[in-house]
Amino acid sequence: MNVLRNLGLCLLLVASACAFNRGTLGDDIKPDIVNSIKKSSTTKAEVVALLGAPDRILQVNGRDVFQYYRYDAKAGSLLLIILNFSRLSVKSDDLFILINRDGIVEDVISSRRTEALEFRFWPFGD
Amino acid sequence: MMRRSRQFFVLPILAAALVLDGCNVARITLNTPITMNDVTFIEPGRTHLSDVIAKLGAPDSMTDSDNGVVVTYRFLDMRYSRVNLGWLAKPWSPVDPDLIFSRLGLGVDAFQVLCDSGFIVQHRSFLRHLAGPQFTPYPF
Repeated sequence: MNVLRNLGLCLLLVASACAFNRGTLGDDIKPDIVNSIKKSSTTKAEVVALLGAPDRILQVNGRDVFQYYRYDAKAGSLLLIILNFSRLSVKSDDLFILINRDGIVEDVISSRRTEALEFRFWPFGD
Repeated sequence: MMRRSRQFFVLPILAAALVLDGCNVARITLNTPITMNDVTFIEPGRTHLSDVIAKLGAPDSMTDSDNGVVVTYRFLDMRYSRVNLGWLAKPWSPVDPDLIFSRLGLGVDAFQVLCDSGFIVQHRSFLRHLAGPQFTPYPF
């Protein structure tokens, strides 16, 4: 019984705290809005009306490329008295819209990496 | 006898706490690191950019070049570890001594794909070939 009590006391002393933190940059890129953009028909003005001004405008092969991005960061910390573990994971959602010389959408490239983002504490392994 | 067994139980834990107190292990990852195995499907001169995007997702950046376009996937796997050996002397010292060993491995890398004007992959390469930093606080 004493051993159990001592073990419990030790665990209480060792496992002092944990922390969850989160940070985001940019607005959420909603998939239904991205799906409503059609190749060869949606215009540049319609893209801006749907998504707002792009975060970045690039020139690629004579085409305009509108880039939209959003970053999401989740951090977990396990604050033990004898040892602290922390892990911060950052992922981004990116959307590239290629617009041809006539101002019509030529291609839409998007990915949502933040959907799989989780709070993690253990810094080892993958 | 009971007291001796309790001391036998508590003292190693206290000693371990004193030795290990002040240890920190931290890791920061940006996007999912891409490995050589992830990009073996890319065949220069044959693979289309859309196939790359279908497998790896949207890139982090696209830039224009004289021959076409360069797409870049950036990722980071930063590892940090720190141990404060000064805590060993804390019970016997009138001051709060610190002897800190720490080490940071940034693990910054990027995968770049160069495509021609028809978006066919011409070259692909990692910016650096990192083995991956380890959690070793010893800085020397």
